[in-house]
Amino acid sequence: MLILVVIAELIGTIKIPITHDVAITIMPLIYTIILGLAFYLAKPIKWIKRKQARIAEGAMMLFIGVLIAKLAVSSGQSITLIFEMGPALILQEIGHLATILVLPIALLLGFKRESIGMTNSIGREPNVAVVVDKFGFNSPESRGVFAIFIIGTVIGTIFISFVVTLSLSFLPLHPYAFAMASGVGSASMNAAAIGPTLAAFPGMETQIEAFAGFSNLLSFCVGIYIVIFLAMPLTEKLYDILEPKIGKDSITQKKEDD
Amino acid sequence: MAEIIDGSENVSVQGILNWILLLAIFSIITVIGNSIGFSHPIGDSLIGMAILSLITLAGVWMERYLPFNISSIIYISVMGIVLAFPGMPTSDILLYYVSKVELLSIVTVFLAYVGIGMGKSWNEFKALGGKAVIITVIVIASTYLGSAIVAHCVLVMTGVPA
Repeated sequence: MLILVVIAELIGTIKIPITHDVAITIMPLIYTIILGLAFYLAKPIKWIKRKQARIAEGAMMLFIGVLIAKLAVSSGQSITLIFEMGPALILQEIGHLATILVLPIALLLGFKRESIGMTNSIGREPNVAVVVDKFGFNSPESRGVFAIFIIGTVIGTIFISFVVTLSLSFLPLHPYAFAMASGVGSASMNAAAIGPTLAAFPGMETQIEAFAGFSNLLSFCVGIYIVIFLAMPLTEKLYDILEPKIGKDSITQKKEDD
Repeated sequence: MAEIIDGSENVSVQGILNWILLLAIFSIITVIGNSIGFSHPIGDSLIGMAILSLITLAGVWMERYLPFNISSIIYISVMGIVLAFPGMPTSDILLYYVSKVELLSIVTVFLAYVGIGMGKSWNEFKALGGKAVIITVIVIASTYLGSAIVAHCVLVMTGVPA
């Protein structure tokens, strides 16, 4: 009980930026993430300890639910529009395969089989499960996907809102395309990506929420099969082709010394 | 999302009463933010949050107690979509109240929790090299841009006006 009140108090503190940060739209979101992290890391503030952090994480399941429910209501409201945009919604899931293009970079940086785990997908929970299931817990592939998972957990939300903000200013794409792309298969990154998109296209809130929510749902249920049947074999194939050509031995050795 | 569901199992967030309490606290914080940031009436948005919370509770409950291996995310999404379906008797009332809750208000509070949760991975994060960070950043950017560009091309090809 005390812990809950404390968390509430903490959020109360974080609430303040919303009032005076209307101009820079990503700020409230980023603010809250960083403040949340800072409150955890600032050891002098004793009441946010590891246990509370774990409870916050457990409670998150419920809060994700609320977020998903809100998105689902928007989706239901716009269901006819979603059916009209069906082809785009489904095909953009294929766009997530773009991560495989990162494989050569991973190889050039000296990663070996880790790179297969790293670049087959965005490395969120379902993807981690797929990789661990396929290669085993102690395999280099799993090490790779765990690394992406942890780094994505820490910087993913902040980084994606940065990417979205830049894309919105520099890429002349369809508003719906931005909305659909924000469903990357992670609730927190989805949330962080929607914020700037909503702000960039005022008056289209319902459509953007509908597409973003539906696309994330698709990434969650269909995306995993794309990873298993398409992304994973493709990544491995590309690895077999590229590794002998641009793979580097020395750095892997060094990595193992770490 | 599996991580969050797993996380809930080894944490003392059990029992429907705890869930309701947590959701109530979350709702109140969201509604406060909602009224400060977007000046929506507090009463209406509270009802909106109550509706969303109920859908969530039902979804989480179904995940635990129904004998199917389906994530609560899916239950919640399906319920939300069906309840808001145009023509459903529930849709008008639902849409009125839920539209009083801005998505951004929910997101802001939610991401604060994400931030706290992130702290847990901080030490593991520090142990990973800068190269892995580079790869992660490119991976995230490419998955987003990849699907944005594909979606854009399909939308243009199928002639959807901007």
